[in-house]
Amino acid sequence: MNNYAIEVNNLCITYKSLQSYSIKKSLLHLKKNESKEIEAVKNVSFSLPKGNIMGIVGKNGSGKSTLLNAIAGIFSPDSGSIDLKGNSVSLLSIGVGFQRELTGRENITLSGMLLGFSEQEIQEKTGAIIEFSELGHFIDMPVRTYSSGMYSKLAFSITAILETNIMLIDEILSVGDAKFKKKSYNKMKELISDKDRTVIIVSHGKETLENLCDNIMWLHDGELKMIGDTKEVLEEYELFMK
Amino acid sequence: MTRFINDVKKYFKYSIVSAKSELKSEVASSYLNWLWWILDPVCFMLIYTFISVFVFKATEQYFPVFTFIGLSMWDFFSRMMNNSVKIIKNNKAIVSKVYLPKYILILVKLWVNGFKMFISFGIVVLMMIVYQVPITLNILYFVPIIITLAIISFGGATFLLHYGVFVQDLSNVVTIILRLLFYITGIFYDVAKRIQAPFGEILSEANPLAFLLKSMRESILYGTTPNRKLLLLWMFIGLVITYLGIRKIYKNENSYVKVI
Repeated sequence: MNNYAIEVNNLCITYKSLQSYSIKKSLLHLKKNESKEIEAVKNVSFSLPKGNIMGIVGKNGSGKSTLLNAIAGIFSPDSGSIDLKGNSVSLLSIGVGFQRELTGRENITLSGMLLGFSEQEIQEKTGAIIEFSELGHFIDMPVRTYSSGMYSKLAFSITAILETNIMLIDEILSVGDAKFKKKSYNKMKELISDKDRTVIIVSHGKETLENLCDNIMWLHDGELKMIGDTKEVLEEYELFMK
Repeated sequence: MTRFINDVKKYFKYSIVSAKSELKSEVASSYLNWLWWILDPVCFMLIYTFISVFVFKATEQYFPVFTFIGLSMWDFFSRMMNNSVKIIKNNKAIVSKVYLPKYILILVKLWVNGFKMFISFGIVVLMMIVYQVPITLNILYFVPIIITLAIISFGGATFLLHYGVFVQDLSNVVTIILRLLFYITGIFYDVAKRIQAPFGEILSEANPLAFLLKSMRESILYGTTPNRKLLLLWMFIGLVITYLGIRKIYKNENSYVKVI
């Protein structure tokens, strides 16, 4: 089968000596900044067929989010490669980047444009986004006046309605109040089960993963520990975490 | 280079829409806000005119307009510099969620501050009518002068954007340097006349801002032709700085997120 949507080869990402420094500090202490290298992702390779749904598990700090960020193009790999085969990609995580002074409506336009949609496409979908987000008249108020629930509702709605070929989901399956939670979960399921969409989910929720994913990748300290069938990997992972 | 052109094409609309929303939200947050875009330079013009005319006995023709042109262009430049030092941190929400070429953020500021500058040049026009300044064809140099100013500001901003990410207290340093520049640029006096020869001449040509200010005044106030060769040279230098800055950003932009 040659119909891959994502191919990752020997991906390594390090956080190294990239701490910011201040002129004042370096004038006062002339000693060298000890630069620690943290390898967040080590030599990870995998490929994901089109339409596949993969979950990523691993304890906190094992490089899951870093991997997602890299696939979304926010980090560049220090070595290795990520090939998305020209697919559009969006990263869905709690609290998408909004500009706090702007209204919800403007933020929809701006976020949409950043995701690579044309102004016209966004205009067509703005109505649906507003409706889904249930924000009502708040949509024309600055985002800074939103409650955290409203904020994440809007964030979710934008990425859910403006669909991309590849969706990266970083723990988001519960947003807002009970009613919206259910609604967003259903929407999420609908989006994920679309045959043409490739999805990667980072989650700690066993049930979510069992219900949604075709296969699971287990990251441990940045290394790929296991990848394969959902049930097998989850069982191993459960055992390991005990 | 081709990547730059493609990226600008791709994100051009975004930068315009983003700049529009920013201006709109500035207006929306208080009724008087857009008035401040005008009031601010007008008040400073009055202060400097008072000090220069009454205290230092300045004799420049059309002195208030002279100062106002200086302030309009200076405000644009200093806003660009101040904005870009912290631009990545201030846009953390965006930068850490999607990829965009980071200098697009500067482009947004270029439109925002450029718009404000044009409003204040509107006042320059009004003042010129009031003072009955004779207009010559030299006024057309307005366009290349503004373009050069924009290019130089953009180039400077790219470097500040880059180092602003890694150097925490860069903004303090920038504030001091800007203050120094403000005084030696001759916003409210004529550098070439007031500073002893030959330093005055040198300062008014080796400092791009002083030179652009001088050229602008020559072309729209005094009806003379600015130094075309030097203008072209500064435009070229601006382009080189911009090129280097953008190359630097492309090389490093993906690590910005790891630092902030």
